[in-house]
Amino acid sequence: MERELMTSINSTSRVEIEETKIKSFNKDSRTSRSFRVYDGEYAGIQFVQGKIDIGEGYKQAQGNLALKRPYKFALETVSRHRDKTERSYTDKELMEITREAVGYLKTHFPDYIFSGALYVTKKTLKMENTAGLDCSNTDCTLQADIAIKHKDSKDITDGWFSIGQRNFDFKKFTDMADNYLTNFTNMAELPEELIVQTQYYGYLSKLTECLEAENMALGTSLLSGKTGEKIFADSFTLAHDVSDKETWFTPFFDGEGVVQPNDRRIYIENGVLLSGYADKRTADKYGVPHTGSAGFNLTDIPNNGYTNLRIERSDKTVKQLLGGRLTIVPIVAAGGGFNDKGEYVTPVQTALLCDGERFIGRLPEFAIKGNMFDMFGKNFIGVGSDDPVFNDKQILVKMDYSK
Amino acid sequence: MYDFPKGLYADIRIERHANASYNVQNGEVMQNSETSTTGAIIRVYDGKMWYTSVTNDLDRIQSELDGLAAIAEPNDDICIDPMVKKFEVHKDKVLLFEGEKDVRNITRGQREKLVQGYISSCVDKSIPELKQWAAGYFHSHTLKEFRSSKGAEIVQDFQQCGVYVWFDFVVDGVTTSGGKNIMGMDFDLLAGHEREIIERRERYLDFAKNAVDVTPGDYVCVLSPAVTGMFTHESFGHKSEADFMLNDKTLQDEWVIGKKVGSDLVSICDSGDMPHRGYIAYDDEGTAPKETWLIKNGVLTGRLHDANSAAVLGEELTGNARAQDFGCTPMVRMTNTYMQPGDTAPDDIIGGVEDGIYVYNVNYGTGQGTFTMQPNCCYRIRNGKLAEPLRVNVVTGSVFQTLFDIDAVGSDLEFCDTSTCGKNGQSMPVSDAGPTIRVRRLTIN
Repeated sequence: MERELMTSINSTSRVEIEETKIKSFNKDSRTSRSFRVYDGEYAGIQFVQGKIDIGEGYKQAQGNLALKRPYKFALETVSRHRDKTERSYTDKELMEITREAVGYLKTHFPDYIFSGALYVTKKTLKMENTAGLDCSNTDCTLQADIAIKHKDSKDITDGWFSIGQRNFDFKKFTDMADNYLTNFTNMAELPEELIVQTQYYGYLSKLTECLEAENMALGTSLLSGKTGEKIFADSFTLAHDVSDKETWFTPFFDGEGVVQPNDRRIYIENGVLLSGYADKRTADKYGVPHTGSAGFNLTDIPNNGYTNLRIERSDKTVKQLLGGRLTIVPIVAAGGGFNDKGEYVTPVQTALLCDGERFIGRLPEFAIKGNMFDMFGKNFIGVGSDDPVFNDKQILVKMDYSK
Repeated sequence: MYDFPKGLYADIRIERHANASYNVQNGEVMQNSETSTTGAIIRVYDGKMWYTSVTNDLDRIQSELDGLAAIAEPNDDICIDPMVKKFEVHKDKVLLFEGEKDVRNITRGQREKLVQGYISSCVDKSIPELKQWAAGYFHSHTLKEFRSSKGAEIVQDFQQCGVYVWFDFVVDGVTTSGGKNIMGMDFDLLAGHEREIIERRERYLDFAKNAVDVTPGDYVCVLSPAVTGMFTHESFGHKSEADFMLNDKTLQDEWVIGKKVGSDLVSICDSGDMPHRGYIAYDDEGTAPKETWLIKNGVLTGRLHDANSAAVLGEELTGNARAQDFGCTPMVRMTNTYMQPGDTAPDDIIGGVEDGIYVYNVNYGTGQGTFTMQPNCCYRIRNGKLAEPLRVNVVTGSVFQTLFDIDAVGSDLEFCDTSTCGKNGQSMPVSDAGPTIRVRRLTIN
């Protein structure tokens, strides 16, 4: 009988801002554990949040073997620990940074009402077992999420900006605020050519669903039957990448303790589909490559779904990729998304016109449309080598206006 | 029981959650679990700001309270702080879900039998287009204890259970997903819905085979009761939450009580004490829920408050301060929000449309000035009758205009007890409700 323990330790200190004033200071600290016992055929699992005697946790897990949750796979044996913390923050420091941030916004942009929060999050995920697995991943960031409302606006909010850093650079925060707000009330016209510049994580939602190996095997993915085929642009390479420095809190191991070589796994290379993602159960059931993609299910056997998908960057900057063209940066684009056919449509409630680095003015409301195969195919311009506007990587993609 | 600090307002909310889940996907049991969590949030207010702490260790409540008090600034006038004065003081125990109705007594065998029964009767594996399916059960039970330095002592419970069957149909390489969720507060009510689930299965199979892409544009739209519920929530409900307008003169002027904001046919109410998914015995500041008419006959008549917004705006408490769980502080949230039914037969409403769109069901919505809904099943209306199924990506409208464009309100009020509302990172169970309505113009993409 093997034993395994997954421990998640999360702590947050948070200062909330309401109407450009500090409203509250909140602390939250929680430890969750998943006790697992394996008899070679079945797994017994017990989730506990809060205090528990370790022996009692395993005892309860052993009792749950009676549920006959199937698990026949060998346990992992890797030993590795990664701590990406660059700086720790005391609560006093967080409060001082927040006061400074609120003061800056109030002084420099008196025509706006700000709300949101600055918060320090520290997370550790540990996984260990009697077969030899001993892994842990720790990370800590200070994040500022600021919602913007002009005092004359009749809407609830007009937009927001957000910046997360391991070592909080106040200058980057003020640069971002300046960029978003300096020309926010300058009304601009929609450009004829619609190039969207944005953080791309939302655009990967449909692709993530399509790359799920069970969906691909059962024919419910738009990528079913396309393995080995060219599906996107030559310059489009997509990988599960937990080495990415702009990834917060993401463990280098999956929910079964599997570690990828170089912390990367490529699914689409130069536009060619290599494989979907699969945990051990999915790979075994459908005879597809195992990609170390088990989710962190603390309450039952692992489920397929751990991905940290990143599009490979171009060697050109955003400005170089644009070659003098302007972009549209959606700030609030809520309510749309991809449909079953892979078509993307969304209203854009707030957007800014941008030269790739600096915002020029605010645009009227509009709607955009595209198609997943075109967005990452003929209309894919690239992901810049630099991080203007968002302090994070961003995609440039041609889209069309909709009604 | 707790030693509340002097010169400060403080409250403590202890929650005990018990959840169970049983999910089957394509014949394989993917989840069969029971979990329980216990925790508390401790809050201290000194007249200037809140200090809060969350812990899983109930033995630490007093020390957390003392620690927060140590960093707050004691205030001799805390009792006359406008917000503190607003806090209600109730000593009550409202336990509706003890005994036979307690979902914690539902055995694993009962859950499995319920789900497997639906699989046997509703999942027809002979349908060639059916490529994936899922069915499952969940329940959650919450026991809450609230105590405040003003003397409130409240114990209340809440529970939900549900069952679902979901289908993925593939036609010409395109997957259409659809199914049915049945949720309620009583396990016994989850049985006997085979006919509704099979009707949904057949509807979405027909949709998969026959749906055509809509031509974007402005259309007359008829909304089903379920969609009207979400429309009510998104188009106006969020604007009735007073925490967005505390000292905002522009919004206070825009949403002044007595202003005409919609057609005479529109009346909208929020009430937390109805036996639906947004039910509360007391809100998370200890306030008893009220029936709050937000709009009556098109005129703005009320809004939703927590103690802070009620104090700032000089209005009465409504019992809408809600928190997702013990990890969260309360904020202004809807509970059970419904549009009052009219007296027009639903068929007559559709019959009055020469060319338009019937929105049958939606996935989710958003509630800015431009509100949105993402439908998963629509139909064209031609000459007063439902015609071919339509693939529509998103429905949008302006809250400042759309409520005026409602020109028919049906008699068929239905509650949708499967909704979850997101706001500032917190998810809350809510109920949306409404009848069939007709809107003269919505933008369709």
